[in-house]
Amino acid sequence: MTAISYVVKRGGKRPTEAFDPDKLKASIVATCLSVRTPEGQAEATANSVTDVVTRWLDDKPEVTSEDIRRKAAEALAKYHPEAAHLYKHHHMVI
Amino acid sequence: MDAISPLASIALAGLIHASFQLSISTLTLLGSRAIGAKVTRVRLVKLVGGFTLGAVIMTLLLLSTTALWLQSIFGSIVPNLAWAMACGLLMGLSVAVWIFYYRREPGTSLWLPRGLARFLMDRTKKTRITAEAFGLGMTSVVAEILFIAGPVIVAALLILGLPPYWQLAGIAVYGLTSLLPFVVVALLIANGYSISKLQRWRSNNKGFLQFIAGCGLIVLAFCVYVNQVSDGIALTGGGF
Repeated sequence: MTAISYVVKRGGKRPTEAFDPDKLKASIVATCLSVRTPEGQAEATANSVTDVVTRWLDDKPEVTSEDIRRKAAEALAKYHPEAAHLYKHHHMVI
Repeated sequence: MDAISPLASIALAGLIHASFQLSISTLTLLGSRAIGAKVTRVRLVKLVGGFTLGAVIMTLLLLSTTALWLQSIFGSIVPNLAWAMACGLLMGLSVAVWIFYYRREPGTSLWLPRGLARFLMDRTKKTRITAEAFGLGMTSVVAEILFIAGPVIVAALLILGLPPYWQLAGIAVYGLTSLLPFVVVALLIANGYSISKLQRWRSNNKGFLQFIAGCGLIVLAFCVYVNQVSDGIALTGGGF
């Protein structure tokens, strides 16, 4: 059975929460769509990336949201480099 | 024609205003979020249009208010001391732009305090209706007031010196030039241009944009000094 990993949020102001694969998948889908990827391809890419991150979390009881973003961006870069660039830098736009 | 030289300087001030990137950053983020949230093309055009309109109106309001305020202080003849102070402000801003306009990290993070940047990002994420986008466009102009103050004040001073029938033209010239690149980006987003390519270009060329903005401020300071301060000193025999 896979243990639950807890995610420490950026800045530490919001409470720690359990890792939610659906939330990660939704953010990857949104990023792929925002670079005009067809919906089906966006879903497939998000599933693959979420699988990679979930496997990576298997032996980690606690990670930061930045760790998850970095790992997800690494995985996304293999499937969709353009989306990965946007995903990686989304909080560095303003 | 007497108005050509001030109008050209106003256009230059508008272009310098255009080189500041907060509104474009916010617009890029808004477009990216809206497309990612699967909004329809009509909704996307309305959001981008609302944002653009908000930024245009706030820019024009800011310039008109500044001109009115300066007119109440100086009347229609601006003293040399005020021109000299405006030149000093432009020079100071140019150094500030070169030193800390962009943060030294990947992406296009700006000088803004992180609390304000987070607020703008959160508001951008939550923006779903045109009125919110309009308000966000206005806010993005106000948030950058520290840097746009220089070109706006100089343009307002130049407008004061124009004949009344040219003053509206001066405001229009500033509005058009300051928002030209912004409108181009809005059109690119509305017509389906890849936002990540746009963002990558901005990120790769931010050093150049920063350098150009700083140089533009120095050139404007030089133009203002030559046309207003040194001319004024020659005419008045050196008095301020």
